[in-house]
Amino acid sequence: MSAAEERDESLRMIRDSAAAVAPRGGDLKRIRDLRFTEPGFDRAVWQQMAEMGWVGLRLSEDAGGSGLGMAALCALAEELGQGLVPEPLIPVAMAARLLPSDRLGPVLAGERIVLPAWQEQPNSLETVGATALSGGRLSGRKVFVPMAAGADAFLVTVPGGLALVERGAPGVSVATEQTQDGGHFGTITFDNAPAEALPSDALPCDAAEALDEAALATSAYLLGAMDRAFAMTLEYLKTRQQFGRLIGSFQALQHRAVDLQIQVALTRASVEAAAATLDAGASPALRQAVVSRAKARASEAAMTVTKQAIQLHGGIGYTDAYDVGLFLRKAMVLGSLFGPAALHRARFDAVSPEDEEE
Amino acid sequence: MTAMPNPEPEDLNLLDDDTFRLVVRRWVEANYPPEIRNPPKRLHWAENKVWYMKLAEKGWLCPAWPREYGGMGLSASKQLIMIEEFERHGCARTNDHGIVMVGPLLIAHGTEEQKKFFLPKILSGEHIWCQGYSEPNAGSDLAALRTEAVEDGDHYVVNGQKIWTTLAQDANWIFCLVRTDKAAKKQEGISFLLIPMDTPGITTRPIITIDLHDEFCETFFDNVRVPKWNRVGDVNKGWTMAKALLGFERIFIGAPKLSSYALGRLKLVAERMGVWDDPEFREKYTRLRLDLADLRVLHATFVEQVRRGETLGPDVSMLKIWQTELFQRITDLSVEIAGENGALLEPMEGNRELHPSGLFLQARPSTIYGGSNEIQRNIVAKNVLGLP
Repeated sequence: MSAAEERDESLRMIRDSAAAVAPRGGDLKRIRDLRFTEPGFDRAVWQQMAEMGWVGLRLSEDAGGSGLGMAALCALAEELGQGLVPEPLIPVAMAARLLPSDRLGPVLAGERIVLPAWQEQPNSLETVGATALSGGRLSGRKVFVPMAAGADAFLVTVPGGLALVERGAPGVSVATEQTQDGGHFGTITFDNAPAEALPSDALPCDAAEALDEAALATSAYLLGAMDRAFAMTLEYLKTRQQFGRLIGSFQALQHRAVDLQIQVALTRASVEAAAATLDAGASPALRQAVVSRAKARASEAAMTVTKQAIQLHGGIGYTDAYDVGLFLRKAMVLGSLFGPAALHRARFDAVSPEDEEE
Repeated sequence: MTAMPNPEPEDLNLLDDDTFRLVVRRWVEANYPPEIRNPPKRLHWAENKVWYMKLAEKGWLCPAWPREYGGMGLSASKQLIMIEEFERHGCARTNDHGIVMVGPLLIAHGTEEQKKFFLPKILSGEHIWCQGYSEPNAGSDLAALRTEAVEDGDHYVVNGQKIWTTLAQDANWIFCLVRTDKAAKKQEGISFLLIPMDTPGITTRPIITIDLHDEFCETFFDNVRVPKWNRVGDVNKGWTMAKALLGFERIFIGAPKLSSYALGRLKLVAERMGVWDDPEFREKYTRLRLDLADLRVLHATFVEQVRRGETLGPDVSMLKIWQTELFQRITDLSVEIAGENGALLEPMEGNRELHPSGLFLQARPSTIYGGSNEIQRNIVAKNVLGLP
C-alpha cells in the first residue's frame, strides 16, 4: 500500500467509526431532544467519543493520542457535522492540544471536560486580553465559550501562557446565553479565582496554533453540515411534485442547485488542502493563510447552502419540525465561532503575500 | 537542486517529474521566441509558426501521441507538467487543432493509410487544421447540426455553413461533423469528414469580435466534393467519436491561469488608480483572491485524478463555471475602479499591462465557448446531482 493509500484508508476508518455517534443519514431525534437543555449534550455519548480516542486524535502517541493529523480530525469533524453532533469535541480537542501531558489523562479518557476560554471580544481571533494571572489568582472575563455549562475546568489564555481553573473554584462564575442551534455560549468571570499557571514555554503548542486548528476543524464540521443539508434538498427536488412535475426538473432550480454544489466542492477542496498543509508542517503565516481561506469559505458557503436549502424546500423548510432548519441554525453559530468569514478574509489579506501564488 | 540529466533520455517518461519539469523549463527558456511571450490575443500562424516549428524540430509537438506515430508518448502527469511550464513562461497557443484533435482522432479511428498520410504532415507543420463543429443553428445544441454530406459515387457532396471555425483563415484543412442521415435520431446521423480548405466551393471569412479581433471565422460549403476516403471511422458514428475526444483537456478551461493573470492586472490598475489601500476595494479584492485560491485547490484535486490515470467525470464542469465567472468578476472590478480609463480603446498610458477594458472584453466569451455555462450547469445537474 502506498503512503497515500494508507492515509486514505485511515481516513475511511475514522469516518466509519464516526457512525457510532453520527450515522450517515441517521435521524436527528437525539439532537432535537438536547436542544435548549443544559449542558446541551450527553455526557454518556461524550464518554463514548473519548473512548474511541477522538479527543486525542491529533496528539502524538507519546502524549497518549492517536498520532493522526489534521486530515483525520477534519474527516471526523465533517462526519459530526453531518449529524449535527452537539458534544464539544472541537473545543476540548483544542484544550487537549495545549495541556501538558501530565494533565491529559482524564481529559482523553472523557472523565474531565476542559474547555478553552480564550476570547474577550466579539469578532476577534486575539487570544490575549485583559484577563491575567497574578500570584496564582486569575481575574478577568472570557466570552463565547461554547457549551460552558458542561465544563469541569477552563483553560484560560493569559499573558505569558495559560491558566487552568476549576469550574467550581471560588471566584468563577458562568453565565450562559442560548444560541440558535440549541446550545449556548458562556461568559466566564474570574474574580481572584485560584488557578494553576501553565507558562507558554512548558506548553506543547501555542494558543494561536491550537486556535487555528480548531477553526479548521470547525470548517470541516460546517462542510459536513452543509453537505447533508444539500443532500436533503436534492432528495426533496427529486420527490416533490408541483404542476404535475418533479420540481427538480425545473432548470431555474437545477442551476441554483449546481451553484450550491460548487460551493460545497470549493469548501471541501479548501478544507482538505488546508489540513494537508498543516500536516506537512507550515510556517505560522502559511498556516494562518490556509486556515483563514478555509474558514472564510466554509462559514459563508454554509450560510449560502443552508439558506437556499430552506428556500428550495419552500414552506416546509420554514417549520421547526422539518430537519433542514437545524442546519441553518447550526451554520449561524459555527459560521461565527472561531472567527466569522469577514474576519478571516481580512486576516488572509494581512498574512498572505501575493507572489507565493505564482 | 535537481541535476540535469545528461544526455536527455529518448523516452522522457524515464525521468522523475521534478527532473522532467526542469528539462522542459530550461529548454523553453532557451528556445521560446521572446517577441511573442504573453501575447494579449490569440496569434495567427504567421506569428506563432516559429514556435510550432521549434517544437516540431525538438520532437515535442505532440506530447500525447504515442511514440510510434512521432509523438512523445508522455504520461498524463508529464503532459500536465509540460503545459504548466509553457504557461509559466507565457508561451502562445499554437494552431493546435491538428495536434490536439485530428491526431488523436486518427490514431483511434483512422485507417492505416489515413494515419500515414496525415500524421507526418501535422508533425511537419505542412497541414494546419481548423475545426468545423458549430453552425449558426447548432451552438449549444451541437447535435442539431445540418451541414449535409450526400453520397455521390466515391464522393460526398457537402453543403452548409460552419461557424466559430477558429483561425480558419490560417488553415489548409478542416475537420467537420456533417449530417449523413437526416432520418436518424440527431446524434446518430453524423459523420466525421476531413476536407482540404482549397477544395472548390469552400469560402471562409473572419468574424470580427467585440474586442475587434479576427480569431473566429465562418466557413461556407457550396457543393464541395470530398472523397469518401476522407471520412474517419464508420458512417454515422461521428458524434460518438467527437465525444470520446473530450479527454482530460477539459480541465484546461477550468485552470486558474486566466483568473490569476487577470487578478495580477487588477492589482496594477488599482495601484495606478490609487485605490490599492482603499478598504472597500481591498474587501472586494480579497474576496476575489480567495475565490481564486479555492479554485486553485479545487483544480488541483482534478489534476491529481489525471495524474493517477483516472478518467475525469462530469463534475469537472464545475471548474469551468467557477473559473470563467471569476475571470469575469475580476475584469468587472478592473473596469469599475478604472473610471473613465475603463472606457479607453487602447491601454492606459501606452502600457500593455494597464488595459482594463481590453481584458474585460476578452473575458466575455469565456462563459460561452467550450459549452456555455448554462449547458455546463445542465450537465452537472443531470449527471452529477442526478436531477431529472
